[in-house]
Amino acid sequence: MSKNFLATFLLLFFILQANAQLGVMKLVGNGTKDYKMGFGAFIKTGFPVLEGSDITLEIGADYFPSDDVDGTAMCPLKAGYRYTLNGTGTGFYLEPQVGYNVYGVTSLQDKNGQDIDLKYHGVIFAAGTGYLFSISNISFDINLRYETVIAHGGSNNLVSLGISKAFSFGRRETEY
Amino acid sequence: MKFYLYPIIAIMLFSSCLKQSIPDAMLGSKNSGNKNATLSYKINGNDVNISVPGADYQNSYGYETLSCSKSRNYYSLGGVSNTGEIVFTFYTDSLTVGVYRRAFAYDDPFVAEYNGINGYIYAASDSITVNITSYDKGHISGNFAGVLTPVIIAGNPDNTYGTASSVLITNGSFKNVPVFY
Repeated sequence: MSKNFLATFLLLFFILQANAQLGVMKLVGNGTKDYKMGFGAFIKTGFPVLEGSDITLEIGADYFPSDDVDGTAMCPLKAGYRYTLNGTGTGFYLEPQVGYNVYGVTSLQDKNGQDIDLKYHGVIFAAGTGYLFSISNISFDINLRYETVIAHGGSNNLVSLGISKAFSFGRRETEY
Repeated sequence: MKFYLYPIIAIMLFSSCLKQSIPDAMLGSKNSGNKNATLSYKINGNDVNISVPGADYQNSYGYETLSCSKSRNYYSLGGVSNTGEIVFTFYTDSLTVGVYRRAFAYDDPFVAEYNGINGYIYAASDSITVNITSYDKGHISGNFAGVLTPVIIAGNPDNTYGTASSVLITNGSFKNVPVFY
C-alpha cells in the first residue's frame, strides 16, 4: 500500500513539473577501467524553500557499457538541496544530494560463458555544482557532480556532466 | 548550506576509500587481500594437502588448482594435488553457510581421485558431507568428510566397482577458497 502511494505520488509529482535531463558520466575508482563512458537520463524537480534555494527530487537511470561484459545499470532516487551562491536562484549553485539506488545490476559472464546478473541497491551520496542560465527565455542547467553508491561493502563512484532545462515546482521572481 | 554539504562530502570521501566496486565486493574475487587458499584431507589415512598462494587470481589463467566455481544452478568446489583431485558440487543457486550432503542417488558422481584410483558415490552407504562454516567476501571455509566406492576398471557406459564404501575421506577442511563467477 505504502509503495503504491509513494509510486503514485512520485508519478504525479514528476508529470506535473519535472523536466528531463541528459548526462554523460564516467565510473571512477578500482575495478572500473573496463567500463566505457556511460550515459543517463533523469527527471528532476524542485520546491523553492528559501530565496535562491530549492529542495530537489530526482530519479534517473544510468548505464555504463563495458568492453567485455554487458555493463552496469543503476536507477538512483535522490533528494537534494540546491543553493545558488548569489541567492537569486540563478547562476552558480551547489547541490548536495542523498538517496537510494532503487535498482542496480551488473551483468557478467562466468568462465563458462554463462550470464550472471549481480543485483544490488544501496545508499547514494552526491555533491554537485552547476550553473543556471537562460537563452532566449529557455532556461538551462549545466551541472557537474560526483556521486557514490554504497552497497555490499563496496562503492560505485561516478563523475557526471549533465544538461537540462531548469525547473521549479513553485514560483519565484526569476523562473529557474 | 555548509552544514549540509560538509557531511555529504565527508561520506563521499570515505566511500571513495572503499577499495572495491560493488560488483567486485559482491564477487569478492578481486582486491580482497589475495588470500592463501588451503584444502586438506585424509583419504584412507593418506594426507592430501593443497595450498595456493594468491588464490584469488587463479581464474586469470583459465583453470584453478583450488576454487569454488559458480555455474548457472550449482557451485563446484574443486582441488587438484599431485596425487589426484577432489570435487564437490553444491546444487544451489545461492551458496550460503550450511551443511551440504550428497548421498547415493543412482547418478554415481565422481568425488575424488588418489594415485589413479577414482572414488564415486556409488553404494547406498556412500556419501560426502561438506559444511561451509564461513562465506566472507567471496571466500568459503569449512570442513568435510565422506565415504566412497572405488572404481577398479573404468568402463563405458558402466564402471566396475570395488569394495563398497571402502574409500574413507576424513579430517577434511578448507579455508579461504575463492568463489569464482
